[in-house]
Amino acid sequence: MNLVAQTAIVLTIALAAAGTTYLIQGPPVRAVLCDTSKIKSDEVCLERVMSEWKGRVLWVDARLRADWQRDGIAGAALWNLDASENMQTFEAEVAARMLDGQRVVVYCDNENCGTSRQVAGRIKALQLGNEVFVLYGGWSALAAAQLTKNLKP
Amino acid sequence: MCASLDAMRTAIYCWLAMTGFLHAAALTFEKELLEIHAPADATSIVADFNFENKTDQPVTIAKVDKTCSCIAVLVADSKLVYAPGEKGQIRATFDMGNFSGVVNKTVVLYLDKDVEGQPSVTLTVEVHIPVLVELKEKTLKWLVDAAPDTQTIDVTMDYAKPIKITSHSCTSENFKIVVKTLEEGKHYQLLVTPHDTKEPGLAIIRLETDCEIKRHQILQAFAVIRRELPPVP
Repeated sequence: MNLVAQTAIVLTIALAAAGTTYLIQGPPVRAVLCDTSKIKSDEVCLERVMSEWKGRVLWVDARLRADWQRDGIAGAALWNLDASENMQTFEAEVAARMLDGQRVVVYCDNENCGTSRQVAGRIKALQLGNEVFVLYGGWSALAAAQLTKNLKP
Repeated sequence: MCASLDAMRTAIYCWLAMTGFLHAAALTFEKELLEIHAPADATSIVADFNFENKTDQPVTIAKVDKTCSCIAVLVADSKLVYAPGEKGQIRATFDMGNFSGVVNKTVVLYLDKDVEGQPSVTLTVEVHIPVLVELKEKTLKWLVDAAPDTQTIDVTMDYAKPIKITSHSCTSENFKIVVKTLEEGKHYQLLVTPHDTKEPGLAIIRLETDCEIKRHQILQAFAVIRRELPPVP
């Protein structure tokens, strides 16, 4: 048997196995895995937000304005660190929505972006007393859970 | 048969070796975090990140992502492919807008075959901009139906020249604001008194100063009347 035939057989077997797995298990799980024992103290898993808190939080989108408008979570407030934005407007808008004492959850693109932690720090500095968290996995976690549907806040 | 098996084995070894190289490809940066102490009037910050390809394979900068529109990123000589041993530089220029205090700005680099969301390199600039006018309290709080006592915000100036409060305003008529001068240009107190605390509400208090640096000309604080927060479960 020549090399081409052997390669074809190997590929055929691999494809058949992959197809069977897809049929039995379904599409691959793209959810952001969040281990509560490993996240930082200011982070929260999406599962906790949606199940324990029933999603009743003030979402704050720390991404760029264009991203917030395009595919932010419905009802999210915008607060990013873009120098072209007015930080005092962000402060006032978010402070007004924190009056009822609900928890605040900030997200940026993913767990690498870091902006959400800085924004969370600025929200805490408002000294309103609400609990403020950073969403583990950020927008990627929301997208994987299909919570972003091009809904404009 | 033996010959074809050998050929297949060779192909697999080649594939594994190539995979190893792809994962090993990287640029080594002198520093991935730069701390910059900027002057109070800085409007932009320039950060240079020097790197070297210390692998034995060429490395390609496939994509540069910035986390804000306020960043301009330049790769020296617009060069994107670096041979083994070659050095380069990435220059990030940050528009600081009205920021003061500490702010982190990041730039991420995707090299070779990096997948979206998993860049090989994250470069961070931690910028420290002096806070010339500081409000000790950002928010004053009263509970609904509590006594409408006067509360105070301490305002201190930390600059070579005096910075005076030139005007103040409040978005709610329910609050009376008095500015008390403790040391002209250096230290003030805002005395804030609600007329009543019957209804929850939020008022924005704005102060204007004569500071020559724009980012310290307008300051903001809040006066809040709210119900007691529910206990955290």
